[in-house]
Amino acid sequence: MKKRNALLLAAAGLLLIAAGFLLLRTSIFPVDNLPALPYLLIGVGCGVFGHGAGAWISRQALKNAPEIQKQIEIDQRDERNVQIANRAKGKAYDAMIYIFGALMVSFALMNADLFVILSLVAAYLCVVGISVYYRVKFDKEM
Amino acid sequence: MKNRLEALRKARGIKQEELAAALEVSRQTIGSLENGRYNPSILLAFKIARYFDVSIEDVFIDEEESK
Repeated sequence: MKKRNALLLAAAGLLLIAAGFLLLRTSIFPVDNLPALPYLLIGVGCGVFGHGAGAWISRQALKNAPEIQKQIEIDQRDERNVQIANRAKGKAYDAMIYIFGALMVSFALMNADLFVILSLVAAYLCVVGISVYYRVKFDKEM
Repeated sequence: MKNRLEALRKARGIKQEELAAALEVSRQTIGSLENGRYNPSILLAFKIARYFDVSIEDVFIDEEESK
């Protein structure tokens, strides 16, 4: 990540955290209809700030260590490492299909809210749809 | 697929780390290649052959053909 992008991301995170606290502590913008919004903003803000700050710190730390930086680049591009990561993702996807399925059945058996079950089904179908899309795309490309 | 990578490397007196750096791969990849646990891409196979100045067939052994 570029230095500017990392700093922008960290700043955006801080802004989100500040906005969250502002909504929580003041009544300038009443959020009675969305009581979880301030906490959501703080949570997302912390995540975004951590990601940006982490990228910036790692960039600064590696600035004076070009050898380590080069080794990290080699490890990231290494074809065996890439293959391992892709195989792990494939296995995780296979597991996710069963886990999502089991979760949907459990929710249905528990008589959970129909909206929750339908949202889960939509997410499940979306993931399967993305998988089919890329299968067709790669089939044409390769 | 079997290969003669370890023999070629030792004949040149170079370490796994040095070969990995020259081929721009991780040291673990060299170790896995030497143990026969990992088959390289055609690009890496060419790179290895070029590095040792031999043909790909001199590095990698086609087990089907050698039967």
